[in-house]
Amino acid sequence: MSTTIDITEETSAVAKGKAPLIATTTYSDGSKGNIKTKGAAAATAATGYKKGIAIFDFLLRLGAIVAALAAAGTMGSSEQTLPFFTQFFQFRASYDDLPTFQFFVIAMSIVGGYLVLSLPFSIVLIIRPSAVAPKMLLVALDIVALTLNTAAGGAAAAVVYLAHNGNSSANWLAICQQFGDFCQKVSGAVVASFISAVALVFLVVLSGFALRRH
Amino acid sequence: MKADAPVVLGEPKGYTAQKAGVKRGIAILDFILRLVGFIGTLSSAIMMATTNETLPFFTQFIRFRAEYNDLPTFTFFVVANAAVSAYFLLSLPLSIFNILRSSAKNSRIILIIFDTGMLALLTAGSSAGAAIVYLAHRGNTKANWLAICQQFNSFCERISGSLIGSYVGVTVFIVLILLSASALARR
Repeated sequence: MSTTIDITEETSAVAKGKAPLIATTTYSDGSKGNIKTKGAAAATAATGYKKGIAIFDFLLRLGAIVAALAAAGTMGSSEQTLPFFTQFFQFRASYDDLPTFQFFVIAMSIVGGYLVLSLPFSIVLIIRPSAVAPKMLLVALDIVALTLNTAAGGAAAAVVYLAHNGNSSANWLAICQQFGDFCQKVSGAVVASFISAVALVFLVVLSGFALRRH
Repeated sequence: MKADAPVVLGEPKGYTAQKAGVKRGIAILDFILRLVGFIGTLSSAIMMATTNETLPFFTQFIRFRAEYNDLPTFTFFVVANAAVSAYFLLSLPLSIFNILRSSAKNSRIILIIFDTGMLALLTAGSSAGAAIVYLAHRGNTKANWLAICQQFNSFCERISGSLIGSYVGVTVFIVLILLSASALARR
């Protein structure tokens, strides 16, 4: 059995003393063929693991897109007009009556748009699982998207809770008593935004596991 | 040594030590940020929990005392901030372990997992608190919700101020997760 060692050309980083000098070895097929296949198999297994993580990442992103855009759409289309009226009371409820809901629609649209734009990066990671730069970029932007998503969901949840229960200490009446449909739509939108937040948490943790195998 | 893996023939002087040094710097920054986050969230929880204002006059029908647990959202805010500050305290030993052992991978992934979960909890708590503080300042004419800040000035100031500490905690978490991920990405 013979071994050849190929020394790669010196890169500038090596010449400057900032990186190690690397060579690759090749074994000819012989009685020690097991070692070659075992080493190659281990390398392929690691790449396969990372590719599996990347595919799961892509599918989670698709799910998160559906949830985020559904939340924005449901909240944006929540409007209810009661069939009776008097001179003094408001009988129309819409999402833009409450600035918190306006913030919710805008923030969930931004999160949904970001997730759509991050799909190409996710595809790049499926094709080339050992790329580090797209992965780090996706981790950073996913964390920001998670924060925005959770902030929108938490704020809207607080207002929805008030709308359902009111608050006797502050004399705030529960508006859900009158606007049932509006309340249902708005609560559904908040639930969808929390689903999208959970998906983003899993995305960040998955990226961490993929980086660990680096 | 695996076959067909690249073979390192030689390294410049101090290369391994330099890599370990960068990771150690990241771990020290991680530790300092955890201390900052602990102080921020703890002070925020204490500030919100000690709100208590009683107006000097009274009538038979209207309430003139404001406390944080009159609003359930603020109770959630205090609980979330207290839980996160306890988490910061408990994660300090893991952070010290990362400083001592620069090549630790499992402890870093554990920290990423828990940091992400706590980030979601803290952001939810602080944004819910912010929504109610906004309502307390401005009220809402369409829903007939009056702005209670008109009467309860010092209560309002205190609840607004306590939001700052929890947002400091949110920023700390974002930076911490990024640091842990970049430390993992360096071989």
